[in-house]
Amino acid sequence: MTLNLNPLIVLLIFPGGLFLIMAGLAYEYLDRKLVARFQNRIGPRWFQPLADLLKLLSKEEITPLGVQRGLFYLLPLFALASALTAALYVPMAGLLPAYAFQGDLIVTIYLLSVLTLSMGLAGACTVDRFALVGATRTLTQLFSYEAPFMLALLGPAIAAQTWQIRSINEYASQNLWLLIAQPIGFLVALVGLMGKLELPPFDAPEAETEIVAGALTEYSGRGLALFRLSKDIELVIGLTLVAAFYLGGIHSPLDFLVKTVGLLLVVALLQTLFARLRIDQVVGLWWRIGTILAVIQLIAIVLGRYVGNLIF
Amino acid sequence: MSEKFVIPIGPQHPALKEPSHFEIFVDGEEVINATLRLGYVHRGIEKGAEQRTWTQNLYLMERICGICSHVHALAFAQGVEALAGVQAPPRARAIRQLVAELERLHSHLLWLGVAAHEAGFDALFMYSWRDRETVMDLLELLSGNRVNYSANLLGGVKFDVTPDQKVRILDGVSFLEERVQYYLNVVNSDETFLGRTRGVGVLSREEAERLGAVGPTARASGVPRDVRVDVPYAAYTEFPVRMVLSQQGDLQARFVVRLEELFESIRVIREILNNLPESELTARMPRRIPAGEVISRVEAPRGELFYFIVSNGSDKPERVKVRTPSLANWGTVLATAPGHKLADIPMLVAGIDPCFSCNDRTVVVKTVR
Repeated sequence: MTLNLNPLIVLLIFPGGLFLIMAGLAYEYLDRKLVARFQNRIGPRWFQPLADLLKLLSKEEITPLGVQRGLFYLLPLFALASALTAALYVPMAGLLPAYAFQGDLIVTIYLLSVLTLSMGLAGACTVDRFALVGATRTLTQLFSYEAPFMLALLGPAIAAQTWQIRSINEYASQNLWLLIAQPIGFLVALVGLMGKLELPPFDAPEAETEIVAGALTEYSGRGLALFRLSKDIELVIGLTLVAAFYLGGIHSPLDFLVKTVGLLLVVALLQTLFARLRIDQVVGLWWRIGTILAVIQLIAIVLGRYVGNLIF
Repeated sequence: MSEKFVIPIGPQHPALKEPSHFEIFVDGEEVINATLRLGYVHRGIEKGAEQRTWTQNLYLMERICGICSHVHALAFAQGVEALAGVQAPPRARAIRQLVAELERLHSHLLWLGVAAHEAGFDALFMYSWRDRETVMDLLELLSGNRVNYSANLLGGVKFDVTPDQKVRILDGVSFLEERVQYYLNVVNSDETFLGRTRGVGVLSREEAERLGAVGPTARASGVPRDVRVDVPYAAYTEFPVRMVLSQQGDLQARFVVRLEELFESIRVIREILNNLPESELTARMPRRIPAGEVISRVEAPRGELFYFIVSNGSDKPERVKVRTPSLANWGTVLATAPGHKLADIPMLVAGIDPCFSCNDRTVVVKTVR
């Protein structure tokens, strides 16, 4: 499916802007509801994420003492903007990406990391002790999952021999699901996504029983709303990327819905299954197991291509 | 980092359901020292007890703790009975023990949920609290109340167990036995959970004895200390319980000891219900209690509960002193904390099953001039 859209529409309505915000809220609702049902709770009503967002937006924003004011207000905007921009190169809702160029995969991965980076900086620019510990943990976690997550997304790129998300999506749909060809990569990518979004059991950076709300402890009102919204949007983009790469591509809205919601179901189940990992356990897990698995997968792909070239 | 970095936990903090104040000195993520300040919920109950009659005090004592309300009334009633030289009839003593063991079931399941939540394992939290409703319903069935059962009278108990109630309690505890077995498996086999409990907060037997630990915290370190076994009260001579011990002394051992105690509780509940002695429910108590003093001890779900009661021969006590088990166990938390990660602190605190409001008796305000 191809659609020629006016750039303004692309940025403000679809796939950026309004559509992404709505999709983010819908997926947050689904995630919360699924986790609640898995935990034998009732869970929120369908409009709860929207209600939360509107309420936070209408609340007073408190500037704590000792913060760098400019940074404190800019970081949430920065996080949201980068999350929205990342969507432009991803086949949102099964339509072709709004923009594509060789290497947009790398740009997207970096744009997705900006949220975590902003949160780390946001925590570090306040003087609150919980926020400082939270920021340290956020950035420590960033350094542990980022490499394996990136390697896991490179697997399909190498298989498709392109750095363009659109072409990888096409390659994935024409071939056997990469989930079957590269199962380790899929696992690492999915779990890496959970680490990126600080979902349980990787929620040490915002463990409420230890450090209140982690890096975002001092945030209130609009800043908090924007950070939460960017996280929701990143959830949608992350799920879309993993589905496009490993679940046989995405080419229609129905395809998009079925595959991403299916993935979300797995993510929600994983969230309920485990106890929270300590930050040292997270780092150990990613560097001792995650990275090695991802590297093994990468070597297997490269060898596979080499052997394949020899035979055919 | 050479400077001391202090993380304050409390008096208001999401990890604490009740107020207390910890100061955790950290170096990065590692804890180097911890201090504790109690006394935020001092309610003046002991002073209040001196202005109320013996019977009124029974209700006051029951409200010291919202989780183990029965054992407080039980310790008080048994102390007053000892002062008056009255013994409760056998059936009343058996019913007291029955309610005490049902209370242990509900208290330990509640603790399991709280501890799982501190470890970020919310699924276990939600499931254990769902199943805890079963025993809450049983207690309501018996007494009409979910929290303050008000089972005790001076000299006996208020209610009997009907044959219909017996059947429903037996059904309820059978279901719970199955569930507790399941939770025991989870606690012993879930890798992520074991990562948070195994080898964490190890308290050696010597340390536990030196710090005067009580209850499951002491028993998890191999200290054989259980008032139910050492000095049987109520009907524990007729229906004895086995002491559950572990030598490991870590958090996992505290989980295992508490859960295995529940099997013991369930076994004793069955035994009591099937062999309930026939007798009156109350013995006659004098309105004025003879002068004297007495120490009354019972095993609360958290450990030894200690009452010291002085009577001056009137219808009101001269002095009632309560020492709850949480107070005896705080030392173990502060002694084991250094060397752990900051993330382990909520687990260590939850590990002794603290009950803050119950242990806040008095505050000494020192004025430095």
